[in-house]
Amino acid sequence: MLIEIKKKSQTYQFEANAGEKLLYAGLRAGIPLPFECATGTCGSCKARVTQGEVDEGWSEAPGKERFKVVKREILMCQCSAQSDCSLTVPTKIVAFRDDDINPDHHIGVITQYEKLTEDVLRFNVEIPTSISFHAGQFFVLQAPEVNGFRAYSMVNYSPGTNELEFIIKQNPHGGLSKWIFDSDRTQEKLELFGPLGHATFHPDESHDLFMIAGGSGIAGLMSILEYGRQVNYFKNRKVSLFFGIRTPADFFFAERLRAVKAKFPDTVSINIAFSNAPPTAEQLSGNDGLIYLQGMVHEHALPAVLEGGGNVMHYLAGPAPMVDALIRPLILNSKIPVHRVRYDKFS
Amino acid sequence: MSWKAACPVSDVKQDTLKECTIDGIEILLANVGDGFRAYPPVCPHMEQYLEGSGICANNVMTCDRHLWQWDMKTGEPLGPAEKPLLIYQTKEVNGQIMVFLDEELEYDFDDDDD
Repeated sequence: MLIEIKKKSQTYQFEANAGEKLLYAGLRAGIPLPFECATGTCGSCKARVTQGEVDEGWSEAPGKERFKVVKREILMCQCSAQSDCSLTVPTKIVAFRDDDINPDHHIGVITQYEKLTEDVLRFNVEIPTSISFHAGQFFVLQAPEVNGFRAYSMVNYSPGTNELEFIIKQNPHGGLSKWIFDSDRTQEKLELFGPLGHATFHPDESHDLFMIAGGSGIAGLMSILEYGRQVNYFKNRKVSLFFGIRTPADFFFAERLRAVKAKFPDTVSINIAFSNAPPTAEQLSGNDGLIYLQGMVHEHALPAVLEGGGNVMHYLAGPAPMVDALIRPLILNSKIPVHRVRYDKFS
Repeated sequence: MSWKAACPVSDVKQDTLKECTIDGIEILLANVGDGFRAYPPVCPHMEQYLEGSGICANNVMTCDRHLWQWDMKTGEPLGPAEKPLLIYQTKEVNGQIMVFLDEELEYDFDDDDD
């Protein structure tokens, strides 16, 4: 089916397959349609149908709050075409970066499946074609028996790879999360679409990095750390990471974080904040090079951000309440220009 | 259309935003210290409702979505913002904020100067 998006200066056209989400069809065709979560919660991919018939998909998608039915407003990430369609999109259609990577559909196989803590799993997905992605990007994943894509940031970084590494937190009410925790899913197939997302790291920008993660939000920041490690970025550039989790038993990726700290002891600072318990005596001894704190991660990170300054790029990754708790004071209290803050909000 | 009462002056504190609907038209009210401003309710970037996403400080509003910012008194864009806020005329009468509603102000989302 032919989809047409009319702007004053240009008309964009792309083909959408039956059942294919309009957002994915457009992005796949190289049209930089607006989106953030790509999974129905944020509302950024709003469009208006001016001609043609669509299947709106998820009718209770949170992103549709206050959408106007009379204007035929839809979420492109949930909606598929039932005929040729004309749409208007209420924002500029503009590429985020010149080196944006066109996302595409993939079928992957789960090759590794490992429980990291009581409620966090790590799993690798192998896809048949080799792809590249920017550090900090995500894919949306859908399990065969579960309807609906969910967004997960890659943990690994490797230009030209068949292997994508993810982590996922247990959510008994979630779709994909419940499915994957139910039993060992090695060798099971997943549908994937990506890479997506703009909270990316690019060494040629030459910033120091200040990164704040809550829980499984650490995934994309691990990819950034890994890229930086590979290209020796932290030889000359500083990085401060604040990683918030509940208790010492919930701490994962300790070995990987210690390895980065050990390789660049003078430039890398890694702070682990436990919200529900004090650090252990061993952790407080400081032997492993990491700094352990008790309290909410944003409460520890904020003073450090606000006294910072200089040439720093800030990355926020975690549950929406954590990101919100940081954005407001960052804008209100500090001199950080808004273009020095990057985050993708999906939850 | 003409001057319409929106709400009592005391309902809109400085550095806060309040949305209201007058004759079916949604407007966003702000207190800029020495007066009030009334805007369309959404961000001119991606139609985010600013009552929820707008952060106000020192007469600068920032939409927490993509961090577009404006001078709240003039509506002029600041920082990464590419479009101004549209502004309805307002005045105070007997403790009420009055808004001049001639026609609904809407952002032209089909222009693209890119």
